[in-house]
Amino acid sequence: MKRVALFCPGRGSYTEPSLGTLPEDHFLVRRADEIREEFGLPSLVELDAENKFSASLHLRPSNVSPLTYVISYIDGALALGEHRVVCVGGNSLGWYSALAVSGALSFEEGFRLVQEMAILQQEHEDQAPGGGQVVYPVVDEEWRPDPARRAAVDAALEARPDDLFPSVHLGGYEVLAGTEEGLTWLNEHLPQVKTSTRTYPLRLFKHGPYHTQLQGPVSEEAFERLASLDFRAPKVPLIDGAGRQYLPHSADPDELRVYTLGEQVVCPYDFTTSVRVALREYAPERLVLTGPGNTLGGACGQIVVAEGYRDLHTRAALTEGEGAEFILSMRR
Amino acid sequence: MTNPDLQRSVSSLNRVEIVERNLDEYLENAPQPIRTLEGHEPVREGTRLTAREAIAIFEDQVLSRQIDVAARELKKTGRSYYTISSAGHEQNAVVGSLLRPTDPCFLHYRSGAFMMARARQCGGTTPLFDTLLGLVASAEEPIAGGRHKVWGNRRLWVPPQTSTIASHVPKAVGAAFALARVRRMGLSSALPSDAVVLCSFGDASINHATAMAGINSARYAVRHGNPTPVLFLCEDNKRGISVDTPRRWVSDFYENMRHLHYFLAEGDLDSIWETVRLAIHTCRTSKSPTFLHLKCQRLWGHAGSDQELSYRSMEEIEEVEARDPVLANARRLVDLGVAEPATLRGIVETTRERVRAAAEEACRRPKLTDAKTIVAPLAPFDREACRAEAENVAAPEKRRRAFGKELPEEVRSDGRRTLAAQINAALTDVLVQHPEAVVLGEDVGKKGGVYGVTARLQQRFGSARVFDTLLDETTILGVAQGAGQVGLLPIPEIQYLAYVHNALDQLRGEACSLAFFSQGQFTNPMVVRIAGFAYQKGFGGHFHNDNSIGALRDIPGLVVAAPARGDDAARMLRGLVAMAATHGQVSCFLEPIALYHERDLYEPDDDGWLCDYPAPGEALFPGEVGVYGTENDDVLVVTYANGLRLALRAARRLEAEGLRARVLDLRWLNPLPGEAVREHAAQCGRVLVADECRATGGGIADAVLADLLEHGFEGRARSVRSLDTYVPLGPGAEAVLLSEDDIVGALRSVCS
Repeated sequence: MKRVALFCPGRGSYTEPSLGTLPEDHFLVRRADEIREEFGLPSLVELDAENKFSASLHLRPSNVSPLTYVISYIDGALALGEHRVVCVGGNSLGWYSALAVSGALSFEEGFRLVQEMAILQQEHEDQAPGGGQVVYPVVDEEWRPDPARRAAVDAALEARPDDLFPSVHLGGYEVLAGTEEGLTWLNEHLPQVKTSTRTYPLRLFKHGPYHTQLQGPVSEEAFERLASLDFRAPKVPLIDGAGRQYLPHSADPDELRVYTLGEQVVCPYDFTTSVRVALREYAPERLVLTGPGNTLGGACGQIVVAEGYRDLHTRAALTEGEGAEFILSMRR
Repeated sequence: MTNPDLQRSVSSLNRVEIVERNLDEYLENAPQPIRTLEGHEPVREGTRLTAREAIAIFEDQVLSRQIDVAARELKKTGRSYYTISSAGHEQNAVVGSLLRPTDPCFLHYRSGAFMMARARQCGGTTPLFDTLLGLVASAEEPIAGGRHKVWGNRRLWVPPQTSTIASHVPKAVGAAFALARVRRMGLSSALPSDAVVLCSFGDASINHATAMAGINSARYAVRHGNPTPVLFLCEDNKRGISVDTPRRWVSDFYENMRHLHYFLAEGDLDSIWETVRLAIHTCRTSKSPTFLHLKCQRLWGHAGSDQELSYRSMEEIEEVEARDPVLANARRLVDLGVAEPATLRGIVETTRERVRAAAEEACRRPKLTDAKTIVAPLAPFDREACRAEAENVAAPEKRRRAFGKELPEEVRSDGRRTLAAQINAALTDVLVQHPEAVVLGEDVGKKGGVYGVTARLQQRFGSARVFDTLLDETTILGVAQGAGQVGLLPIPEIQYLAYVHNALDQLRGEACSLAFFSQGQFTNPMVVRIAGFAYQKGFGGHFHNDNSIGALRDIPGLVVAAPARGDDAARMLRGLVAMAATHGQVSCFLEPIALYHERDLYEPDDDGWLCDYPAPGEALFPGEVGVYGTENDDVLVVTYANGLRLALRAARRLEAEGLRARVLDLRWLNPLPGEAVREHAAQCGRVLVADECRATGGGIADAVLADLLEHGFEGRARSVRSLDTYVPLGPGAEAVLLSEDDIVGALRSVCS
């Protein structure tokens, strides 16, 4: 079996092509829908079986988060059987999936965490509407660092320290978050970048200003509502959004709880560093990405290329020969 | 029949495997504990070490051990360049886990487990891969960039040390001393007020003069009431390479020493943990030097190339291997029910696997190949940035508070100043401008310097910023380095040039190498003032008339400046301070003692050697020479320091004979201002180098002439120098030193 590092994607990964990808007969899907019922929320199976993708319905945090989590978890469990998984990590919401895949939370406890956090974020959004996340590339189309774009991001953050914040370091992308005013300013001031498929800065639909101090109340409430969440040491090494490693026999469950409900919610999520730690400290033969979708593929590729890991120094190198096999996405 | 020599040699080669197998076999056959502890439970009664923490330490120790195994494996295939291992010293992980990431650490070379444990406290660090990159000398190694295999990390506050001889001890003491000094000076610090400084070294190193000096100065400092929270970690493996340390040698000396807390950490992991915790607590709360004596083993010889069997019997080697701390800890964890053998086996196996995989990846990373890249961090110099820094002058009212009513540049005509007075004024300005600047050295405080150069500085700026040290140059330069690293701008004084030689390694091996081995991530800015050169009219003999500067010029990256005139001295000192503030540059400012109080140039009472204080903000930098008689072009005299005054007098004498000499003051002895010399030499066509230093000791004349020759200078060129000797007491001094007559004679000859 190959030694692989496993990463779970964040919330933006469940998109239109993901419809119908939830295995409805899977016992965990049924279990998830039972819990949904307790929360008084619509069935995931039904949501996933809709004929038409509705952004307002499917991308509602309380729907999209559990959909993402369940698919990630099922994929993760599969990967654990097929590969020798040497470490697990995730991006943003994917951290919750990673907690469960690694065994630091049971499937149910992980689900409860995901569902509660989505509800909390929604409640917070209702009380203090506005704000969100914006994605911006800091590399060029060939994934080479673009110092001008990086400088534009740094300048923006420096110019608006009170309403713009770094949110996720995502390989060749920076995710910035802020208040509505901050994001409007950002939209006007960041030079537009057009690629074949997208125009940046790109606002993430129905995303709040996650991983910033603006989520402070969410974190506080989470500590209350999720006080009984049963964290355990993971069964495989787990890497968080600051690049910290939690090892199976020495991890302190309380540290996991404090990180998950505190720092992870209010501080930038450094996905780049978590992948870098996985590459450098675990030297995997493959990076395996769980579903839904394949949104992490690009970011992971950019990190691998920036590292020059296994002599993969260019975007092209990741599409040719052995290089093409290095990142294995479980879904397309 | 077996050849016993062959058998011994094979056994020696396989010691790594044997130690590995000992651990594997134990874990394979160890009995199951009756009950396995929960992670939060203490490992036994009477300790706060939890099962989880004990396993974390074991994980770090195993990781360190596996890196050492990998180093030997890579060496076999010629892919690793460093095999000094941490094997047997892994209990230092306990110290690494208990110190805070904000406690600066100056580590010796067997600190693998320590680093793994420390890095665990800082997310995002990659200690395994970083170490492997060091072993294979990759340019991507994050601290030294492949320049050496060192333990260092900016985020973890571990400045790299290359020391194998405890030469890092004085600067660690300096850093501890400066931590409190920073606060006393009212400056803010990135380090918390209760930080302690760790300095580790082996048992053999404690015999080294620098270790003695460092520990002595820490005790001296605390005896004087200065908080000095330094934790000396002596990792005692009972030998230095092949030489055994006598039994109880370390404890006999340090156990009962006054002004030094002593702790002996030995025995089981949990006992060691308790002792280490207490030692750190004592050091932190008492803010005084603490000696932590940690018993270690040395597995696999001094380094990969060390054939241990040539000085140790196989029985002795096996005895040490049986005391392998990783094996001992595995036993202890199983015995206490902290972990099942299978758990520990799993840790060992997965670690082994990932270290092997990471080592392969490290070998793929690029090496240093380009000379320009290699030397880039040695002495970076941005002239414009430095000039801008020097031009940033304090407001007149601020300066007036220090100087009194009249600023030095406002004093005119009869108030013109000597070299000593100019340096004093320039130092005053530096202390006004840089609240982080400190002046230290023997006699610089109360007495104001042997020659009055630092007079009144202590009254003006207080004893926190201008202070006397004990009589030890190693300590003076050590304190300067440590202080520089924690944010101060030290201006240490070495009382006489002859005294710098006993502490030279503090400049060569330590201060000047720091930026090089950390790619500028750590610096120890400083301007070392050294009173030097000869011509004290026979007084003082050799020790006070030293003219050997070759040792300083031999140091990579060190800037050496030698002023002759007072106004130059002020401007050069400003330049050096600006370079220290901008780049963390280390420099030596060689002050000619004989010119400190000289007033006259040509005639008695002509006051020709006095000058006005140059306008604040005016500074001189390397390459910028002084030229006298620019209209003259019969011959160029290249000189410096006392030589300038002698050359100017000689030129005046020859003027009467119709020989018009131009005189060039080098000012900068390292790097030499070759370009300026070549330019003036070309204009004059003939060159005489008047070098007051020992003929073969300073290298100035040699270097200037060689540079001219190599650049195609075709005119006549020669040199006059002082004799290759120590300078005698009394009138004999004049017989061996370069004289005005020597210059006159040589000029006539070169122009004949």
